[in-house]
Amino acid sequence: MKKILSMIIMLFIGVSLVACADKTTTVSTSSFDETKSINVYTRDTTSGTRTGFMEGIGFAEAATSDSVLVDGFLIKDNTGILTTIAIDEYGIGYVSLSSVNSSIKGLQFNGIAPTEANVINDTYALKRPFMWMTRAEGDYPSQTVEDIVKAFVAFLGTTDGGDIINNQGAIALPSTTTWDSIKSNHNVCIQDNSSVTVRFGGSDSIQKVAQALTAAFMPKCGNFVAEHDHTGSSDAYKRTNDPAIKDTSVGKDVGFASRNFRGSELDVPAVRRGQLAWDAIVAIVNLNNPLVNVTAEDLKKMYNGTYKTWSEILG
Amino acid sequence: MLDNLLKIKFKNTSRGRITDKISKIVFMSATILSASFIFVIAGIIFIRGVVPFTTDNLGVGRVSLFHFLTGDVWLIGETFASNLYSIGFIILSTLFITLLSLAISFPVGVLTALFIAKIAPKPIAKILRIVIETLASIPSIVFGLFGAGVILKLVYDFSSSIGYQSKGGNSILSVVIVLALMTIPTITTISEVAIRSVDPAIEQGSLALGASKTQTNFKVVLSSAKSGIFTAAILGIGRSLGEATAVSLVAGGRRSGLSFDLLDTTSTLTTIMLEGLKETTGIDYDIRFSVGLVLMVVILLTNLMLNAIKRRVGVVHVKE
Repeated sequence: MKKILSMIIMLFIGVSLVACADKTTTVSTSSFDETKSINVYTRDTTSGTRTGFMEGIGFAEAATSDSVLVDGFLIKDNTGILTTIAIDEYGIGYVSLSSVNSSIKGLQFNGIAPTEANVINDTYALKRPFMWMTRAEGDYPSQTVEDIVKAFVAFLGTTDGGDIINNQGAIALPSTTTWDSIKSNHNVCIQDNSSVTVRFGGSDSIQKVAQALTAAFMPKCGNFVAEHDHTGSSDAYKRTNDPAIKDTSVGKDVGFASRNFRGSELDVPAVRRGQLAWDAIVAIVNLNNPLVNVTAEDLKKMYNGTYKTWSEILG
Repeated sequence: MLDNLLKIKFKNTSRGRITDKISKIVFMSATILSASFIFVIAGIIFIRGVVPFTTDNLGVGRVSLFHFLTGDVWLIGETFASNLYSIGFIILSTLFITLLSLAISFPVGVLTALFIAKIAPKPIAKILRIVIETLASIPSIVFGLFGAGVILKLVYDFSSSIGYQSKGGNSILSVVIVLALMTIPTITTISEVAIRSVDPAIEQGSLALGASKTQTNFKVVLSSAKSGIFTAAILGIGRSLGEATAVSLVAGGRRSGLSFDLLDTTSTLTTIMLEGLKETTGIDYDIRFSVGLVLMVVILLTNLMLNAIKRRVGVVHVKE
């Protein structure tokens, strides 16, 4: 019995000692040492956020290549970057706007704060648009498909569609219409469409958002079948409107692009293309970091290794 | 009467024989099924793993096996457009990390086992055994979350207190700590069983010859149980080599340059397979099977080596 008692007392003392040690180690210094090197955090090369960020700061070659980045960079996922930047006073990383929280500091980009409002009014620049494009009228496999596509495009502009876009981490354009208020304009959704296949394609960065949208819309529109085949932004135009490709086996009914349409893509009439959302990315640093604002040039210089220490950007 | 009894007996035995046959077939097919999984999995990994070396990967070009095994940069050039993959430095850092974590978990695990089996009073030993068994069954992702939430911060603070700028705590040290925490319960549980099965006669003989309790524990009990303790180490190494999720949360995703710096970032064979796996295609996907193939070879070689050592270590009288 004595033995047991002494054991328990020993254990207790041990635990209380550990608790003491814990308290002393968690006190962190709040002074920021500018001479320290910059720790660069990035997503891996398969990440759409990485593509958006690197293209946004004018460093597109780093979207798919690790070789051009500064030596000693760290690869983490979205949550990993968030949690480590909260610890690492000298780190810089980037996350999608929807995951920014108070444990880290989201940097202003060109003097504009990273807020949803600034994204929607198009002042915050570190972002890319999510665009859609459809085939020409009468150029669909059937009238039913054309009607479903029209209903889908209308759905994109509703609050119902917006909620799904926001849930996927993108930022939907503001809207007040609900699907319930406009669904009477789309009679095609009342009938049973379970034998109808609608083909979606284009940007692979939008694939998750697009799949979530079609998954939500299918039961609202007669359970049509959505077929997703996302290959890249330039295929949004090519596979829906390019006469040489649109009628081959890879042709699509709706194409998505994660950039603005350009060049000959703009020849498609404005009613058959539009924007569904913004994808905003925020450069983040530790709360102790005095930096509040960065430019694309600053970020590029940090990621390609021109700036090695924080004094070079702060000083 | 006797006649009847004999009849019944005969019936019983013949039925017994049929049951024996049936159960034999059932057991054998279960064994064949479970054994064939190993061949199916190894076979599929092999077939997919050699694709990057034998085809031109849809125009990207064949991966050079020699460069793959010896190089110092994971991928030179653009993803999906380059064939310059290599994991030489990752193989070495994986082995280094495994050894280091074993250096922590092995002594701690064995001493804990010795304490539970021989020194602790029965009620405390019982509680400790439950604690260790619970620890052993905690999923690795939980260790990973603990690592990312607590160990990263501790390692970061530790390194800044010695004046070294670590990368948010993402380092070999964090990986080693997480792996040691994960392998200690495995090693403890198995060594404890081994220690408990040491023949008490040997122990009593040692005590009767005038050896102290501590001398007996270290020189007689542990050396008698060394074969079982070695098995514990082998399983611990297996868990270290194969762990992906927990490690990837604290490793930092090093992509080039061999480094044995404890406070610098690292990658292991498993983390390089895991990172980006869900989003990637083509050669960047196939190459992960090749990494898996290399990992399986590494595990096989380590096990063969350890088993050879184990046979040399030999077995002392152990209670069956």
